[in-house]
Amino acid sequence: MHMFNSVRQVVKEQLDHKDLIFRMASFDIKGMYQLHYLGSLWQVINPAIQVSIYWFVFGLGIRGGEPVQTSTGEIPFFLWMLMGLIPWFFISPSIIQGSNSVYQKVNMVSKMNFPVSLLPTIRIIGNSLQFFILMTLLMIVLFFYGFTLTIYFIQIIYYIISMFAFLFAFALLSSTISTLIRDYQMLLQSMVRMILYLSPILWDPAGGRVPDWMADVLQLNPIYYIIEGFRDSFLGRGWFFEDPLYLIYFWTLTLTILVIGSSVHLKFRKNFVDYL
Amino acid sequence: MKKQLKVEFKNVYKAFEMHAKQKEKLMELFSIERRKQRREFVAVKDVSFKVYEGESVGIIGLNGSGKSTISNMLARVIQPTSGEITINGETSLIAISAGLNNNLTGIENIQLKCMMHGLKDEEIERLTPDIIEFAEIGDYIKQPVKNYSSGMRSRLGFAISVHTDPDVLVIDEALSVGDSTYAQRSLEKMNEFRERGKTIFFISHSAAQVKQFCDTAIWIHYGEMKMMGDSGEVQKEYQKFINWFNKLSTKEKRAYKNKMLASQTSTPDNELVPRKENIKKRNTKNLVTSGVMLSIVAVLGVLLGLGY
Repeated sequence: MHMFNSVRQVVKEQLDHKDLIFRMASFDIKGMYQLHYLGSLWQVINPAIQVSIYWFVFGLGIRGGEPVQTSTGEIPFFLWMLMGLIPWFFISPSIIQGSNSVYQKVNMVSKMNFPVSLLPTIRIIGNSLQFFILMTLLMIVLFFYGFTLTIYFIQIIYYIISMFAFLFAFALLSSTISTLIRDYQMLLQSMVRMILYLSPILWDPAGGRVPDWMADVLQLNPIYYIIEGFRDSFLGRGWFFEDPLYLIYFWTLTLTILVIGSSVHLKFRKNFVDYL
Repeated sequence: MKKQLKVEFKNVYKAFEMHAKQKEKLMELFSIERRKQRREFVAVKDVSFKVYEGESVGIIGLNGSGKSTISNMLARVIQPTSGEITINGETSLIAISAGLNNNLTGIENIQLKCMMHGLKDEEIERLTPDIIEFAEIGDYIKQPVKNYSSGMRSRLGFAISVHTDPDVLVIDEALSVGDSTYAQRSLEKMNEFRERGKTIFFISHSAAQVKQFCDTAIWIHYGEMKMMGDSGEVQKEYQKFINWFNKLSTKEKRAYKNKMLASQTSTPDNELVPRKENIKKRNTKNLVTSGVMLSIVAVLGVLLGLGY
């Protein structure tokens, strides 16, 4: 199928250089924290501070400590929020840094025989270390709360894959646009801040406080799909294939972004330096 | 034995937009406004040459004559506006801004850059001691690069690039920061390179250095190739020009410069760059695919949004 040639080429570049991606990501992490006294401990301290403030404002301040009602029973807001916030702590910087990665590094990279399409991926992989650490910590917290996981938890693998696929496609398209049009990066940063509140992270849009049609429209946001998927896995609310329309919507959207992203990337990458 | 052709420039032009507002850039991107009132600065004008393996070529010229544009095109950092560039093999560009990560140590930078050049782990391990020795950095190699002096930084950059074993080495004024002992050792390294059949481009505004390092020289004068030949001859002519120029009065000098710069400005009435018309082939296939997929997403989105 010739129409997916550009997708194939870009994906092949990632697979051919997977060792390089992982090692450059680890150098990135090293370089980031080398000057800090607490070093990579900041990978945990930073989110911990944010978690406590969100919990204070939304959990205590707004909800008054009331637990969240789900289809499988009650759950403390703190746990419910963490299940959405931890993926978000990975998604949000990956989108912003991934989009900025080409602009930031193309000057250095263009002097060598190095596929530019790896740059967004390196950022995503670099951020994923923190994600997996936080996920492990979440499991520990759940254990102390006496929370039991069900068989539904295995589908978290599917949702992690979905999240990576979406981030890869989005960062690829976004990094090209961001290099050509700098205003886009600014816009993106505000949008990401907005998406935090439009996703089921700090409050539950399906919880009956807003009209149903609004909750339905909010679903169109692909991050909604990912976050709800994580919760489905933890809370055992249902399987990912039980809502085929939503599944097909998410994957066609991701694939569309990937097709557009890779053809635009390949079209402009030779001239990236001219646009700096 | 016939020598292998390494680098060929065929009628190469490079033009940069003048006074390009950000908005105009965007318009051009989507080709809304096709070259109507564009003014361009032609930094490189109709340059053609051939260089074979084992040759070292010096490129000399005044400031702003287009030397660095040529070196960037040699390193494939930028693409020519018109014309063809053929390069057989890997190029490595050494410039003063070496592109090191300031937060990482010298050792880590060596590993990172070698990796990015596509070297294997064993090769990197083998090369690292050589690089450290050549860069003459000593114990500082374990320090973050941000603590380095500018000389150390560029020596490290040079050492890494030389040891990654490129087929074509482009050196852009990089040796001017080192002291003379370092320049001497770099010269030895370059000679070793040539013996192994590699090609070197040496970009400098110092004609003496070019004569010392290279057999052939190219004199770039306000974007045009004024002369190519034996480096001694070129140096003589270049020096002649410099002497003539220096004798001019300040006013004459300015007039000369303005005249030359004017000759590099391309306007729509006076196009200096030959462009093939209608080279823009739109890839409609991709457009159609994207359109079809977007409409599927839209339909699914409407269904979802209506709460099905």
